[in-house]
Amino acid sequence: MVVSLDMARKMGKAAIKKAQEMNRLCSVAIVDDRGIPIIIYRMDGTSFPTADIAYDKAWTAASFGIPSSDIVKLGDPACPGFGFNTENYNYRLTPIAGGMPVKNGDEVIGGIGVSGTTPKEDVAICQAGIAALSAIVR
Amino acid sequence: MTKEITVEESVPWKKITLEVAERMIAAAQRWASNAGVPCCVTVVDKAGAVVALERMDGCPFPGIATNAAIGKAYTAAQACVSNYLLSKMLDPRYIGEIPGSYYIGLMTQLNCRINLIPGGEPIRDDEMNVIGGVGCGGPSDAVGEISDMTVCQVAISSLYE
Repeated sequence: MVVSLDMARKMGKAAIKKAQEMNRLCSVAIVDDRGIPIIIYRMDGTSFPTADIAYDKAWTAASFGIPSSDIVKLGDPACPGFGFNTENYNYRLTPIAGGMPVKNGDEVIGGIGVSGTTPKEDVAICQAGIAALSAIVR
Repeated sequence: MTKEITVEESVPWKKITLEVAERMIAAAQRWASNAGVPCCVTVVDKAGAVVALERMDGCPFPGIATNAAIGKAYTAAQACVSNYLLSKMLDPRYIGEIPGSYYIGLMTQLNCRINLIPGGEPIRDDEMNVIGGVGCGGPSDAVGEISDMTVCQVAISSLYE
């Protein structure tokens, strides 16, 4: 299964709706399984770097298949993944919370990234987007 | 979020809002799907930052098209002219021939983020101030009259409908 434009649009709209309910401004990016954006939306009045940061978070989550905040575990000196931060070959890797992989069972089919609010709220908005997808696909 | 809209803000293309951007993208996608050229369309604000981006299903070379769409829209918004004019400046026949035509240095401007392939157009308000840009990537220039530039022009003309 791949994330189509229609599905991505519904996820993005659900995430923006959630942000409006929380009375927050944010950017939402949804990428496919190769980390290429399908949609990016920036709400009116959101500061402009957030669109890029949301894309980075979505890329990180989709490419590794784990939430973007879990990337830091790979860079821990106690773990074999030390030095991971130097592998930032396309300047997109980010450890900031707010990116979640979109999964169909065990298969990673994309990623969603949210930027503009606090990390905890970003994750909540991501989950609202993913919940919208599972409502469509089931 | 739920603030009252004043008369100035209700003028549709004084400012690139998410709603305006989505309307432009929808018009461009309608046209592109009729023409059978799936593409990626990006609308940026006057800072050159993405307001809305949508990539249609089946867009050829998606990675390049998406990156190019962002770059073209950014370039048009920063340079305040169509990308087509900028690409003409780089025509090798003109370099060094006309005084002031050494535009090859454009290539590395703005941290190499600019893209000089035709397919980006600035968006202007009713007083001709640049308020944003639109960029398109995906359709080949070789497909008859269908090109990235046409898709951008369709998106801009949708503002005036």
